[in-house]
Amino acid sequence: MDMSTPTLVTFIVYLIGMLVIGLIAYRLTDNLSDYVLGGRRLGGGVAALSAGASDMSGWLLLGLPGALYAAGMNQIWIAVGLSIGAYLNWQFVARRLRVYTEVAQDSITVPDYLENRFHDRSKLLRVISALVILLFFTFYTSAGMVGGAILFEQSFGLDYTVALWVGAAVIISYTFLGGFLAVCWTDFFQGLLMFLALVITPIAVISADGGWAQAVSNVGAIDPTRLDVFHEMTVLGIISLMAWGLGYFGQPHIIVRFMAVKSSGEIPKARLVGMTWMVLSLYGAIFTGFAGIAYFADQPLENPETVFITLTQVLFNPWVAGVLLAAILSAIMSTIDSQLLVSSSALVEDFYKPFLRKQASQQELVWVGRIAVAVIALIAILIAYNPQSRVLDLVAYAWGGFGAAFGPVIILSLFWRRMTRNGALVGIILGAITVVIWKQLSGGIFDVYEIVPGFILCTLAIVVVSLLDKEPGRETQVDFDTVEMTLK
Amino acid sequence: MEHTLSFATWFWLTVPMVSVVILSIITYFTESKE
Repeated sequence: MDMSTPTLVTFIVYLIGMLVIGLIAYRLTDNLSDYVLGGRRLGGGVAALSAGASDMSGWLLLGLPGALYAAGMNQIWIAVGLSIGAYLNWQFVARRLRVYTEVAQDSITVPDYLENRFHDRSKLLRVISALVILLFFTFYTSAGMVGGAILFEQSFGLDYTVALWVGAAVIISYTFLGGFLAVCWTDFFQGLLMFLALVITPIAVISADGGWAQAVSNVGAIDPTRLDVFHEMTVLGIISLMAWGLGYFGQPHIIVRFMAVKSSGEIPKARLVGMTWMVLSLYGAIFTGFAGIAYFADQPLENPETVFITLTQVLFNPWVAGVLLAAILSAIMSTIDSQLLVSSSALVEDFYKPFLRKQASQQELVWVGRIAVAVIALIAILIAYNPQSRVLDLVAYAWGGFGAAFGPVIILSLFWRRMTRNGALVGIILGAITVVIWKQLSGGIFDVYEIVPGFILCTLAIVVVSLLDKEPGRETQVDFDTVEMTLK
Repeated sequence: MEHTLSFATWFWLTVPMVSVVILSIITYFTESKE
């Protein structure tokens, strides 16, 4: 399949649009808080869609429809778990984190928050958490670039290296220039595009199948097991898939959106917009893959993950198809840019400023942030040059690793006054190590997704170590009480 | 033979995901009042 002229034109218009947003955001960025957190002036709707778009990578338009197409309804469990996890994150973490990060010396990154929350003067908590973020997000970014470039190589015959450089150049440009505001506003439009694609495509394919009842009947005639949500599922299997939702509490690129909302009063609106977007998008992906089974009954696809791409090509005119395909690019780009910016902010706020240049001006910090974006992206591109590179396997640890290492720490730090710095440190380390070790084991209980034991052990470690530790200092408790008072 | 989705499939496909949207609507109104 080659890239047709309408598709190419649509892509170019889309990429130029992203660059324009980067330029506008550049003019609105004056200091480091603007660059890494948008100066905490994000509206609820933009925060919600940018959190959703940066959360959902190409998996939403490729992986999930592909899984439904290949196996049927028993693949919905991750979507169910993710919806519940995202809702709980918005409901219980978002507002408190927004308030607490402001009380804790106006913290602008997750490591910054952890250090200020526990008044940790050793900087140990900041350094360890920033290192974990930097390491995993560099590889995560790289894997995103590999995924995008392979997709365009396979779908449109574009050279892998060309696709890699073009995609990366656009992402680097707008992130470099406009920082957080550019990332959030591009994510917002990318989120809208993804939503549009995931509403239109399933409606078109179900209509082409002859309606919903007919589509279900046709899928059942091909293979009735694809209608069964429990087909070949064990209890442990369902728990593992739903446990993906636990990951939300510890994803730095998602929870940083909560910190950036202009006021905690915006959270209910953001939650409603974010959850509606997410659930409808997940339904769109599920129904696209499911109805695709009936649509391609006579000529099954070789690669199930191309079900969305192939449907857009055969069902729509090339201009509409171009827009819908830009949605896939959106899904990939909106995740990469957010991870790139979180990594850059870890370098500037958690290493450069505290260790190298305490007196650095805001202007200098913004420029160091920009240079960090370019350097991290270049490292990611170099790694991505070899798609078979073993280091990219590290990505498999990222969602579970962040979820298990940071999730319980974030939750307990917001709700438990007695939690101590040592509890947080041991929790982060134990959560991360559990994920890494558990992943090497298999069979029986070890088939459970590693986030489950990691999350449980991290929580236990925090509770036990904190209780054995001496009580948190007075200033830490005063901060906690201030947050409680503000939220009442 | 006409095939349909079982009750269990319909239940898990709709109830949890629709519930979180309904809860978001309810909390939007209750928390906005506060």
